[in-house]
Amino acid sequence: MNQPLILIIEDEESLRRFLVPTLSGQRYQVLSAATAAEGLAMARSHNPDLVLLDLGLPDRDGMAVLKELRTWSRKPVVILSARNQERDKVRALDQGADDYLAKPFGAAELLARIRVALRHILQADLADPVVHGGGIRIDLEQREVRLEGRPVKLTGLEYRLLEALVRRNGKVATHSQLLSEVWGPGGEGNTHYLRIYMAMLRKKLEADPTRPRHFITEPSVGYRLNLDARED
Amino acid sequence: MAAAPRPVLVALGSEARALRLIQAGFRLAQERSVPWIAVHVELGGVDLAEDGEQAEVWLQEAQRLGAEIRIVQAPTLAQGLSEAVRSSRAQALLIGRSRDRWPWARVGHSTANELLRRGLDARIEVLDDRRGSPESDPARTGFGAMVGTLAVLAACTGVAWLVPREGNISLVLPVYLAAVTFIAHHWSQGLAVLASVMSALLYSFLLETPRFSQVDAHWPNLLFFLAMLFAAQAVVGLLHRLRQQAREVERREVHTASLYLLGRALGRGRTPEEVATTAAEHLRRVFKVEAHLLFPEGSSWRALPSPGPLLDLPPPEALLPRLDAGERLGDPLEPLPLGRAHCLSLLGTDRSEGVLLVQPRESSAPPPETWELLKAFAVQIALALERLRWLEEARKAQLENETERMRSTLLGAIGHDLRTPLAAIHGAAGSLLLPGDLPPATQRDLLTMIQDESERLAHLLGNLLDLTRLESGALQVQKEWQPLEEVVGSALGRLERRQGPLPVHVDLPESLPLVPLDAALMEQVLVNLLTNAQRHAPGNDIELRAWGEPGWVHLEVADRGPGIPAPFLDRIFDKFFRLPGAGEGGVGMGLAICRAIVLAHGGSVHAEHRPGGGSRFRVALPLDGTAPAPPEGSP
Repeated sequence: MNQPLILIIEDEESLRRFLVPTLSGQRYQVLSAATAAEGLAMARSHNPDLVLLDLGLPDRDGMAVLKELRTWSRKPVVILSARNQERDKVRALDQGADDYLAKPFGAAELLARIRVALRHILQADLADPVVHGGGIRIDLEQREVRLEGRPVKLTGLEYRLLEALVRRNGKVATHSQLLSEVWGPGGEGNTHYLRIYMAMLRKKLEADPTRPRHFITEPSVGYRLNLDARED
Repeated sequence: MAAAPRPVLVALGSEARALRLIQAGFRLAQERSVPWIAVHVELGGVDLAEDGEQAEVWLQEAQRLGAEIRIVQAPTLAQGLSEAVRSSRAQALLIGRSRDRWPWARVGHSTANELLRRGLDARIEVLDDRRGSPESDPARTGFGAMVGTLAVLAACTGVAWLVPREGNISLVLPVYLAAVTFIAHHWSQGLAVLASVMSALLYSFLLETPRFSQVDAHWPNLLFFLAMLFAAQAVVGLLHRLRQQAREVERREVHTASLYLLGRALGRGRTPEEVATTAAEHLRRVFKVEAHLLFPEGSSWRALPSPGPLLDLPPPEALLPRLDAGERLGDPLEPLPLGRAHCLSLLGTDRSEGVLLVQPRESSAPPPETWELLKAFAVQIALALERLRWLEEARKAQLENETERMRSTLLGAIGHDLRTPLAAIHGAAGSLLLPGDLPPATQRDLLTMIQDESERLAHLLGNLLDLTRLESGALQVQKEWQPLEEVVGSALGRLERRQGPLPVHVDLPESLPLVPLDAALMEQVLVNLLTNAQRHAPGNDIELRAWGEPGWVHLEVADRGPGIPAPFLDRIFDKFFRLPGAGEGGVGMGLAICRAIVLAHGGSVHAEHRPGGGSRFRVALPLDGTAPAPPEGSP
C-alpha cells in the first residue's frame, strides 16, 4: 500500500477539480465519480483504500451508498457534508462512516482527516498497544496511563471511555457509539453521563480543561482524541 | 318629443319622522321609476335655528338616496308646497300629518286640506304615522272612566252646593274647571267635553237660583261654561304634550346614555371577538335579546362571540343580497326578519362589516319604537369593527414597510459584503494567471489572500444561513443537559485552532450545574461573542466567566475595548447593525445570531458598560426541567 487509492464520489465539478489535484499532489492515486451509481461501480471494480463520499448526490442518497458499501467493504469512508446536514452526518457516522468533513474545508483539514482514516487501518494491522503524544502515554495492554511521565489514576469507566477513544485513533466517535461501547447497550439516552466523564478525563489529562487540546468536542456529533502534537 | 317623467315630491320639515317620508318618497319614486325631489319650505321668520339644521340633515339624507333638493321660501307651508308642485310638475306630493297644531286647527285647516283646496294637479298623500304610537290610550275610555267622570261631577256639584252663591258664577267655575281638567287629564278628552256640557247643565238646573226658571237669563253663564270647556281642553292638550315630550326626552336620554356606554365599551375592543362580546352584552341588557355578530366566511358564517345557535341561517351569498336590497329600498339598516330573529347589516362608512343577528329571548319581539335605537347600536358596532379593520390594515402596511426596509438593508449589506471578498479573490486569481513570472513571495501573498477572503465569504454565508434558519424556525434547538465547560472548551478550541492562542481568561466555578442547551448553537454564541470582543478590543484581555443562581445560569464575556455608546446598547443585537465607525469586518450578524439562539433557548442576552471601561455581554440561560441524575460514582 505505497500509494493508497482514494475514490471521490462527488457531483460538484468544482470540488472534484480541487480534490483530484490536491490528493494527486500528495502522491495518492485518485479516482473520481460524479454519481452514486458510477461511484459504486468504481468501488467494486477498483476496491479503493478510502472513499470520500458526498451526502448530497443527484441520483441516490449518500446514506444509501454508504450502506451498500458497508455490505462488502470495511475500508474507511469519509463523509463530505454541507452545513445543514448535521443529522445526516451523525447518522452516517453511526452507520459506519469513519469521519466527516464539513464544507467548506481547507486542503490541510482534508489531508489530516485522510491521514487519520488511513492510519486507522494501518494501526489496526499493527495492533500497537501503546499510543502516545502530547505528553500522554497510554498502554492498552498494561491499562496504564501516564501524563508527562507520571502515572494517572483513572476510574474504571474513565479508563473505558479513554480506551474507546484511543481505539478510534483520532477518528471522531459519536455520542451513541461511545455510550454503547462504554456503558453497554441501553445507555444511549444518557448523553450527560458521557459529558460528565469527558469533563473528568479532561481534568485529569488536559493542562487547561477549558482549552482541551486532546479531547476535542465535535458539537452535536461526538468526540475525537487527538494525540498529535500538531494542531489539525 | 316625450314628456319628461313627472317627479315625486316629498315635503320635509325638521321632525324626526322626516326619515320615514324620505324612505317612502324614495320607494315611491323607485316603484314608478321617476326622479324625486325633497322640498323644504322656509317660513319667513318662523324657523328656529336648530330646526333649520335638522332639516339640513334630512335634506342631505334625501340627497344621498338620489333626491333633488329644493328649498322654497313662502309665508305658509301650503303656499310654498303648491308653488313647488307647480314648478316641478310633480305627480304626487308626500307630506306628513302635522302634529304641531292646536286641536281645532286639525279640523279643517291642515296643510293637506289647504293644498287639496288649491286644486293641484298632483296626488297628495299624507303619511300618517300615529298608528301604534304611544300617545293614544284606548284603555282609558271604558265604563269605569264614565262612572268616574259622573262621580267627579257629582262631587263637584256637591261641593258647589255648599258654596255660598248669590248668582255669582266666579266661585263655582273654578271647581268645575278643576274637575274637567282632572277628567281630561285622567281619562280622555271626549269625556272632558261631555263633562263640560254636563257641568253647564248641572250648574244651570241645579245651582242657579231661581232654579228651573228664566232659562234665557242663563245664556251668559252657558257661554261662560263653553269658554271653560275650551280652556280645559287647551290645558289638557298642553299637559298631554308636555307629558309626551317628557316621556320622549326620557326615552332619548336612556337611548343616548346606552349609546354612549356602548360606544365607550366598544372603543376598548381590540379584536372582533372583544367587540362582539361587548355588543352582545349591551344588546342583552338594553333590548333583552340574544345578539351575535356574523361574518361571512366562504359559504358559511362565523358567529361571534359564541358559535351560538345559527338557526337555519341562509348562507352569505343568499342573505347578503337581501340585506343589500334593504339598502336599495332606502334604509340600509332596515332589519330583515328571519323567523323569530332579525338581521341588521353592520354598515360602516364604506362597506358592510358584517351582520348583526338578534333573537328575542322571550316570545315577544322588541317593541317597534326600539328599532331606531337598535339601528343606532348597529351603526356603532359597525364603526367599531371598521376601526379594527383599519387598524389591522395600517399594521399590515407598517409591517410590509418594515419588511421592505429590512430587505433593502439586507440586499445592501449582502451586496457589499459578498462583493468585497469576491473582488479580492477574482483579482488575485487573475494576477496569478497572468503570463510572466511573479516573485514567489508575491504569489504566496496572493494565494493567502484568496484563502483568507474565501474563508471570510464562507463565514458570511454561514452566518446568513444560520440567521435565516433560526428566524424561520427551521433550526430546532436540541437541548441536552451538559457541563458549560464543554461548550466553552469547544468554542475556545474552534477559535484557537483558527487563529492561535487567545488572551481569554476563563473562570468557571466547579459548582456549576449541568445546563440544558444545544451545544452546537451555544458554541456559536460563545464564538460570536468572543470574536466580537476580540474585534473591538484587539490584543486586550477578555474575561469569560459564569455563575449560577436558582433556576438560571449566567455567562459573561467582558472586554476592555472602547465600549458601546449608550444609545446603541440595545441596537447592537439588531440585524445588520454596525457601530458607527466600527470599520471593516463583521456584517452585523454575529450578535443578531447570538440573540436568536439565546432566545430560542428561552434565555436572554444584553450588553452593558463594564465598570472600569469596556463592555460586557451577559447571557442568562434557564435551568428548566429537572436535571438528570448524575451517574453513580461521579463526584
